[in-house]
Amino acid sequence: MPILEVPSRYRVPTRGEAVLELSGTTIRECIAEAETRFPGFLELILDSQGRQKRFVRFFLNGEGLERDALDSALEPGDRVTIMASAAGG
Amino acid sequence: MADRKTDRLIRVDMTRQTATIESFPEKWKLLGGRGLSARILLEECDPTCDPLEAENVFVLAPGLLAGSSAPTSGRLSVGGKSPLTGGIKEANVGGDAGQDLMKLGYRAVIVTGKPENPDLRYGLSVFADEVTVVGADEHKGKWNYPLIEDLCKVYSKKASFVSIGPAGELLLAGASVACTDHSQDRHPARHAGRGGLGAVMGSKGLKFFVIEAGGTRARKPVDKTFFQLSKKYTREFVAGPGQEPFPKWGTSVICEEANSIYTFPYKNRVEGRSPDVETLDGMRIVESFETRGGGMHNCLTGCIVKCSNIVHDANGEYKTSGLEFETLTMLGSNCAIAHWEDVADLDRLCDDIGLDTIEMGAAIGVYMDAGGMEFGDAEGAKRLVREIAEGTEIGRAIGNGAATIGRLKNHHRVPSVKGQAIPAWDPRPLKSAGVTYCTSAMGADHTAGLVVDPGMAPEEFVRSSQESQILNAVVDSSGFCQFLMPNIVEIGEFYSSFLGTSISREEMADMGWRCLEDEWEFNRRAGFGPEDDKMAPCMAEDVIGDEVKFVWDVPDSVVATAYERFEAREELFEMRPS
Ligand code: SF4
Repeated sequence: MPILEVPSRYRVPTRGEAVLELSGTTIRECIAEAETRFPGFLELILDSQGRQKRFVRFFLNGEGLERDALDSALEPGDRVTIMASAAGG
Repeated sequence: MADRKTDRLIRVDMTRQTATIESFPEKWKLLGGRGLSARILLEECDPTCDPLEAENVFVLAPGLLAGSSAPTSGRLSVGGKSPLTGGIKEANVGGDAGQDLMKLGYRAVIVTGKPENPDLRYGLSVFADEVTVVGADEHKGKWNYPLIEDLCKVYSKKASFVSIGPAGELLLAGASVACTDHSQDRHPARHAGRGGLGAVMGSKGLKFFVIEAGGTRARKPVDKTFFQLSKKYTREFVAGPGQEPFPKWGTSVICEEANSIYTFPYKNRVEGRSPDVETLDGMRIVESFETRGGGMHNCLTGCIVKCSNIVHDANGEYKTSGLEFETLTMLGSNCAIAHWEDVADLDRLCDDIGLDTIEMGAAIGVYMDAGGMEFGDAEGAKRLVREIAEGTEIGRAIGNGAATIGRLKNHHRVPSVKGQAIPAWDPRPLKSAGVTYCTSAMGADHTAGLVVDPGMAPEEFVRSSQESQILNAVVDSSGFCQFLMPNIVEIGEFYSSFLGTSISREEMADMGWRCLEDEWEFNRRAGFGPEDDKMAPCMAEDVIGDEVKFVWDVPDSVVATAYERFEAREELFEMRPS
């Protein structure tokens, strides 16, 4: 089962859960599955057209992914890390 | 060329209109920017003074590395006792004045006194070896843009300026201090906005400073490895964080992210999200570059981040620059003004009149909430801001900030701490920022210590606030811009090679802590106590959020522990400003 690591910035809907074990076969499916368990999660990660949001980055087993990797296949045991790039103002 | 051995400071006595150059005291040699401003104020300003009287001290202090070749290191601290909060204030600003003062070897300008005749106006001209108070009555009442246009005709093409608009002359507590940016036209678009320091400058009769650094070269470090360090840092920044949406397109593109985590306040903060986020989002500004011109630039010489936008109108003419997330939120969403173009108009008006856009957004939001005007009335808001310059009764009340207009309208919902309006970053989802707002000597100021993390565990609220307050005190003393996002270790490396003496990361953190202690001590002597550390009551009453609710619920007794220093842990040294 892929594992999704959630940064604390996006842990409000997950009620503090930092690591989610999911059964999806792509990042998109994993996020959709996380949404069913934790409503409000998806909108933090994807925009209304289903695209990765501006400040969100994905790492697969520690390697940074390109922005269009939402639908690439995941292997069981893969670790997907969500990162929120620094925001200030 | 100035080097550290010939460092000097400028003392200006505005009662006698005299200026002198002195050597820079050895005891302050490791201090710069905010840390230096705090020490000067603690040692030389009576904390109980009236902020608008002769006894207040107005300080300009560039960061320690300003004027050097370190990237993005020329920020200027403007300091004094704040007429808005009654406590100490430092407002950190870009533009070229900080770089130019330091290139000339001036580590600080300390202004005391007050002219007997409040109707007279003066300027301070700063050259390599001569500093003079000059008459400036012909500039009385001028808005910042026409003022700078006129001054550019008199002074050299390389001169930088620090100025106030009519709001500062009217001694309003929301008045800012403007600095000209690095553009060819030297726009007065960079503002030391918070705390009403423009009114302190105005109370001294000073309309402008001009700094003529000419072709003076950068300050020389003791250790040549400084140059390699600067190059390495630049290379890594440009290839790494420099590619991210912020800072590439500036803070304005953060709106959508802030909205998603309920820190995009709407209608005087009764909601944490705005339905207008699409039309306020700074990406619309970025998109406008293609058809209207404008773009991104560096507000000060040597900035590698270049996060400052230049915004053009529909005819392709310059309208404003440095239109930030805070302004889009506070003058946009917080007032239910739906379109970024209206906010750009308001930003230009505030820059021109010399006003803090955060305080003005909060004040207009309170005014709308109290029934003074419909939420979303962009044209009404613009009229109101113009009234500030005219000095009408309502204009003055708005110009004095959110707390003043709240009192005048007898309104219950006034989001401020220590008299200063809460900025966009909301303390309900961001509890650590809330702890900063309560415990910073400067009141509700996100630049004093911000961590954007609504999922933070409660036991971290105070500790992470304290860490970010220490970090930001170090950054704002160094001259680095917070948006370069350096950590304490990196700043320590720059200090060590610049000064030719090894300074450990622990010593750097101690300097940050000492700055906070100086500021707290100033406030303590001014009469501040625990009762002043209270969050605005509306933050504990108005619940925001949808599935998950957010409200301010951190007990005062927990907040107060921010004054006790935690033992340093790795997180303190790794943390970067957000
Ligand atoms: S990072 Fe942005 S605000 Fe900071 S100095 Fe550079 S352009 Fe100015």
